[in-house]
Amino acid sequence: MSPVFEARRRSTRLLLQLVATLMIIPYVFPLVAMVQGSLAGEGLGNYQAVFSVGAVGTFFRNSAIIAVSTIVIVYVLTMLAAFGFSKLRIRAKEVYFWLILAALTLPEVVLLTPLFATTLALGVYDTYWAVVLPLAALQIPFAVLLTRKFIDGVPDSLFDAARVDGAGVFTAFRYIVLPMTRPIGAAIVVLTLIGAWNSYLLPLVLIQDPAKQTITLLPQFFVSQFSNDQTKVLASAVITAIPEIAAYLCLQGLFERGLAAGALK
Amino acid sequence: MTSITETRPPSATTPTARRNRKNLRPSGLPWISPAFVLVVGLIYYCIIETGYLSTLDWDGTSPTPTPVGAQNYTEILADPVFWLALWHTVLFFVVTFTVQTLIGFVFAAVLHSKIRLTAVYKVLVFTPVVIAPATMAPVFRQMFAADGQLNWTLEHIGLGFLAQPWLAQSSTAMPVIMFITVWEFTGLTFVLYYAAMGQIDPEVLEAARTDGAGNLRILVSIVWPGVRGTTVALAMLGVIGALKTFDVPYLVTIGGPNYSTEFLGTYIYRVSIPQAHVGYGAALSVMLLVLALLGAIAVAARANRKDREPGV
Repeated sequence: MSPVFEARRRSTRLLLQLVATLMIIPYVFPLVAMVQGSLAGEGLGNYQAVFSVGAVGTFFRNSAIIAVSTIVIVYVLTMLAAFGFSKLRIRAKEVYFWLILAALTLPEVVLLTPLFATTLALGVYDTYWAVVLPLAALQIPFAVLLTRKFIDGVPDSLFDAARVDGAGVFTAFRYIVLPMTRPIGAAIVVLTLIGAWNSYLLPLVLIQDPAKQTITLLPQFFVSQFSNDQTKVLASAVITAIPEIAAYLCLQGLFERGLAAGALK
Repeated sequence: MTSITETRPPSATTPTARRNRKNLRPSGLPWISPAFVLVVGLIYYCIIETGYLSTLDWDGTSPTPTPVGAQNYTEILADPVFWLALWHTVLFFVVTFTVQTLIGFVFAAVLHSKIRLTAVYKVLVFTPVVIAPATMAPVFRQMFAADGQLNWTLEHIGLGFLAQPWLAQSSTAMPVIMFITVWEFTGLTFVLYYAAMGQIDPEVLEAARTDGAGNLRILVSIVWPGVRGTTVALAMLGVIGALKTFDVPYLVTIGGPNYSTEFLGTYIYRVSIPQAHVGYGAALSVMLLVLALLGAIAVAARANRKDREPGV
């Protein structure tokens, strides 16, 4: 094996180690600043104060509900559609496909006013649906693109054989497509999870009720709650970031692969 | 075609029969329609609605919006803030993309050299990718404040003359926004380059080394062209990302001071929601949408015009 960068001498290796360490400092600094700032003043008391408000659990639960609902919708609709696009007969298939794909470049800020007006008119403003449906609609195009490419790689003969054996389309979907798409399915779950969990603008505009707001709105909530006491706001930021970092550390490979797949449109 | 097949002796292997079998495939329409209805229904409906709203002078609540035709668009073209936001987007893309690509590439190459603690560096550079920008915003506001940790650190390492109110000055606010973005996305750039470099044929590298090529030469002449597919994908992501920029400038500097960190996203939000100029905001949205589509097409076209080397 020949690595793209070779360090035969010990001094070179030490130099590279130093370079890597210097390069990583700016990436660690904000994380250190976050923890240090959250412990300033009353120390762990800041965390106690944040928890005693009781909002953390609620915001957390709301984000979880929104993320899980979005994931379920995106996963189910994507699998169905990708199978349809890849292996079933559709007249003018590519027209439908490109209509969905064109939504890929859409900045969500463009949706704000119409969504605001529509959700208000339909009576879903200030509910989870007002956030879940647009989030899902924004994630699906790319998920369908990825999954269709993946299913295209499964040979047609497999499906033909299943049909000859008398298996219906749904059986083929259930016993061939779903198991075989597991790797790409995992990537889509991770991508959607991060997209939904980190979304800020849609909850900001479409959810008013603090009992339904998401974790991304927590810092602002505490800014007003503690009249701008930064230490407590930072403590709430640490509390918010910990589950995300923990999830990443537990599923490191999955996160890296999923997000990498997401970047390679 | 069916009748011809029927008159022939049954043979499942002829091309006609195979095509016929394909035609017997069940229709996929019911399978794609849920996704199609949700995506096309919701997004295209919103776009059409935005297009309609952009021809109005409306505060969002009045029952009688005034139709003004294309007036909002002519106003946009004469609006200095629009041009400023557009200029910021271009500048922001060029700087963040260049810095991110450079750091991500070099970091990936260095970590491929089998130094110690590779896994630790990897986790540290990737962690920012998974944390919500909204969560980190108060941290950065604090860190770059006049009495924040950055100035404190500068003073303690003898660089006190560099200490300044980073977020309160027009000249430094934009670089801070760029820094935050680079901080958040380098992990992704790095992971992609790291994976792409692993795909480069080791024999080519070995041959180059035998011919006496040094590390730098190999990086420039073999590795960099070898990961071009990744660079193009990242450029595409960067263009669309720059046009979508909202969370960081809105939460860290609110587009200020004095519009110095205003982007199209923050401007649209400011105009549509707090200022309630819904029609004007919608017209800005349409402009943004057109720019995003053009940006994506431009990058894709550029990528296709060069060699058709497949991506990673």
